[in-house]
Amino acid sequence: MVDRHIIHLNITDFAVAVERICDPTLKKSPLIVAPEHTPRGLVYDMSEEAYQDGVRKGMGLAMARRCCRRAHVVSPRISLYRKAMKTLVKQVNYYTPLVEQGEEDGHLFMDVTGTHRLFGPPPDIAWKLRKQMKKETGLDPVWSLAATKLVAKVASRVVRPYGEYIVGVGEEHAFLAPLPLTLLPGLKPVEMKIMAEFNLRSIGDLARLSREQLQVPFQKRSSYLYEASRGRDVTPVLSGEDVSPSCMQEHAFAEDTQDRKEINYTLMTLVHDMGRSLRQKKMLSKRLVLVLSYSDGRSVSRQALQKNGTDDDFMLRTLALTALERAWKRRIRIRSLVLVCDRFVPRSPQQTLFVVDSARKIQQRKIMAAMDSIYDRFGEAGIRLGGE
Amino acid sequence: MTTDRLCPVLVGTSGYSYTEWVDGGFYPQKTRMPEMLELYARSFPVVELNYTWYQMVRAEAISRMIINAPDDFLFAAKLTRTLTHERERDWKQEIARYREGLKPLQKQLAAILIQLPPTFTWSVSNRYYLSWLLDSLHDFPVAVEYRHISWARDSVFAELEQRQVTLVTVDAPSMPKLFPCLDIVTNPELFFVRFHGRNIQGWQSGNMQKKFDYSYSREELQEWNEKHLRPLRTQAEKGIVFFNNHVRAQAPENAKLLQQIVA
Repeated sequence: MVDRHIIHLNITDFAVAVERICDPTLKKSPLIVAPEHTPRGLVYDMSEEAYQDGVRKGMGLAMARRCCRRAHVVSPRISLYRKAMKTLVKQVNYYTPLVEQGEEDGHLFMDVTGTHRLFGPPPDIAWKLRKQMKKETGLDPVWSLAATKLVAKVASRVVRPYGEYIVGVGEEHAFLAPLPLTLLPGLKPVEMKIMAEFNLRSIGDLARLSREQLQVPFQKRSSYLYEASRGRDVTPVLSGEDVSPSCMQEHAFAEDTQDRKEINYTLMTLVHDMGRSLRQKKMLSKRLVLVLSYSDGRSVSRQALQKNGTDDDFMLRTLALTALERAWKRRIRIRSLVLVCDRFVPRSPQQTLFVVDSARKIQQRKIMAAMDSIYDRFGEAGIRLGGE
Repeated sequence: MTTDRLCPVLVGTSGYSYTEWVDGGFYPQKTRMPEMLELYARSFPVVELNYTWYQMVRAEAISRMIINAPDDFLFAAKLTRTLTHERERDWKQEIARYREGLKPLQKQLAAILIQLPPTFTWSVSNRYYLSWLLDSLHDFPVAVEYRHISWARDSVFAELEQRQVTLVTVDAPSMPKLFPCLDIVTNPELFFVRFHGRNIQGWQSGNMQKKFDYSYSREELQEWNEKHLRPLRTQAEKGIVFFNNHVRAQAPENAKLLQQIVA
């Protein structure tokens, strides 16, 4: 068995760090990143000082302001954070193609196993990367090195907001044992509650229990808890190509709404953008997922499936409306819609041999092709799919 | 110090947990990292801890490590980079953390190695800083490795002698501003030698794999022994020598060769 060397780079409070690079005057006071001009906007990210004052991610902005009155508030700029992540990934790719990134959150895992002949020992790679990132982007990541992603992530949590941690191969269990359970990734609140009831405080407490003992209160999750508490994690570092591909379209309402017409219209817009994107990729999607975020910060996701896959706006619209019906069960205003299509299959260029499409289907396909060309020429305001 | 006898000299390498040393043949095939220190200690009585430069030393990690080595095995620990190369944080807090982290090693500590960067020149502020650093480590055996030639002056050696701090003797490529190879003993209890290899092109490349890619020949080591090691051994109680040319397991190979020559 080859010992793996996984580096975890974590830029603490990523959105805050990026905003502070763009505007250094923001360093002078605590910073909250949240939509400023929407009522009951939720905190997207906050600086360490704001965190110390009690501000948390997902908290209502009004409440956050009360917790930290001296904080400065800026609206999130997701595209900017995405761009910053791309820059970081580019730097990291010099050392290894095996780079796994989070969603604009400043987390990067890189597998540098077997690269020592080219770049030297793994701690040297991590140190150089941190130095390079600091020099070229101003971002100062925490770095950790371990044999598994799980242990590397815990090690970063131990040292953040500044520092580094190397966990030697074979030291995983000893390293984790004294740490509080809150540092173990992937624990659900209900599991934390059960652990507290059993007086399990540290990861070592959890590791002392056998699989059978864990089976009783945690059932299906017992296997994960057993392995994780011992620092065992065989999940590979998944680079961009390895991660299951998906397409995403999102919309945040300027004002939270319960207006079905407005919601349907927005959904149709997202559906059309999604269909167009699939057609450009020459892919059919077998699953559509809709994520609804409510005013109170809670969100719900529901899916609708199409067995053979589709890139057809009309079919996608049916799937989206089905998912909406399944998801929208609360009488609370909606803040945002996110549409995700995945489980792709390539669209075959060949005509079907025996099953002939109906005249209506052929007509719909022609309409979509015409719409795509109008869209390409005149932009998104050029043409839209009509609603009911 | 007596001049007619040669003191014992312990030979080792800078770091021991390199996976390429398995490929290079020093460790048996399929050796895993947790087994390396135990295997290393069968060949050498001392090791220089490199990883303490990359990260702040932690007592629990040191405790876990030393149980894999014999009781009489010695360690030299590099001072963390946040106290030498990247002084961005409060150095007093950092030195306190370092001292705390090193506690489990105290009985087996050969020396703390303060490796200073080439940019650390002989200036008033740097002299003050180094003086504070040495004061705060006064109860540990300390060795200082300069990388800039401006420190090669009698007043520096006299100060080190007065503080009983070891001046590190280096074998490195001969370059204009690099601190030269000097067999001056400033601490009669310990001399400290580091062999970096003589790869001039590699040294300038900024790539560690090229910088330390060098293998000393028997003739080079014999000459070094006669020219420098013997004089050093007549001036101190004990000496430690480390090979830093770790690439392709050249360091343990050269360390074994020097052990034979010294014997």
